[in-house]
Amino acid sequence: MAAMAAPENTPVWVNTDRCKACDICVDACPAGVLSMQAAPGSTLGAMITIIAPDSCIGCNECELLCPDFAIYVSERKEFKFAKLTDSSKARQEAIANNGYRIPVDYKEAN
Amino acid sequence: MAFNYDSYLRMEKMPTLWCWGCGDGVILKAFIRAVDKLGISKDEMCIVSGIGCSGRFSSYVDFNTIHSTHGRTVAYATGVKLANPDKHVVCVAGDGDAWAIGGNHTIHGCRRNIDMTLIVIQNFIYGLTNSQTSPTTPQGMWTVTQKIGNIDPTFDGCEIAISCGASFVARENVTAPKKLEKVFVEAFKHKGFAYVEAMSNCHINLGRKNKMVSAMNNLDWIDSITTPKKKYEALSEEEQLNLLPTGILKQDTDVDEYCDLYKMIQDAHQGKRGKITQDDFKKKI
Repeated sequence: MAAMAAPENTPVWVNTDRCKACDICVDACPAGVLSMQAAPGSTLGAMITIIAPDSCIGCNECELLCPDFAIYVSERKEFKFAKLTDSSKARQEAIANNGYRIPVDYKEAN
Repeated sequence: MAFNYDSYLRMEKMPTLWCWGCGDGVILKAFIRAVDKLGISKDEMCIVSGIGCSGRFSSYVDFNTIHSTHGRTVAYATGVKLANPDKHVVCVAGDGDAWAIGGNHTIHGCRRNIDMTLIVIQNFIYGLTNSQTSPTTPQGMWTVTQKIGNIDPTFDGCEIAISCGASFVARENVTAPKKLEKVFVEAFKHKGFAYVEAMSNCHINLGRKNKMVSAMNNLDWIDSITTPKKKYEALSEEEQLNLLPTGILKQDTDVDEYCDLYKMIQDAHQGKRGKITQDDFKKKI
């Protein structure tokens, strides 16, 4: 398999040169790991960011669904992924309901 | 460690020119994973694409590639395959490319059952030229050429491919990239004409006036009109009406493949065998 090395202790990482901010990965993530953040320089005014790497369950959905080769997930044998928790589900819901961006009050509360 | 797509890409062409969230990228990724899984080397693979957003497919991958004329992918690929029968030939076309302007080529490619894979990226519209009606645009949808609503009945590409004699026919959608990868693996392994319809989203041009402005809306709609083949067959005729089955719809390995038949002609001309008769074929009429 054509493989690329993962940065140390990183479950998921992104290539911001390629991301076009389509929101698909944020929508697909079940654990609220990813979110869009404001980026005035980008075409759509947003850019992907990893807000909660510790919650990543390693389901790989974001990598499979990213059309722009911009997101990568570590392999299960190399990284111990978290389990899906209620708090990560709640964060995902909050992000999805806020146009795929992390709500300001949610960030402050946690 | 993660899968390294970059080793199959032309890095100077990155990032892709496709719109944000375009399903073509997901199909390209599934395609690369399938090639990697089968261990096909870059030199053994030839990709022929036509015109349209799908035409960009051949620009991004570091295989032998041809960016051919509109609708003529299968014609070009037939030439490539006959000259290089040991190579893998893959055509990539859009729904307009394969079924509108290239309809005749696609039909006759299926009929000849030549050993190649035709990937049709089905996004229900002419995306590159800003949403004109394609032969697969659902009735009642807004398009630039039918602003009051499309009245043209639609093609079912898979049904046509089956009836035209393609020996492998499959449909899958981009919301299931793993399944798509499996279908590609089966299609590449198949000896004969493999027709793979990959349902994709075009929220920019199909969705903008059809209430599917984001990629997620459009993908949800595609999910709502497709169902796995097994489930589909269990439904009543009335329920089947507005659904399309996904998965491998036809796989027939017991048919003559065109490169083998072409070899017979070469052998006959070189005096290695006598004239070709009806007994040389599996299907007589």
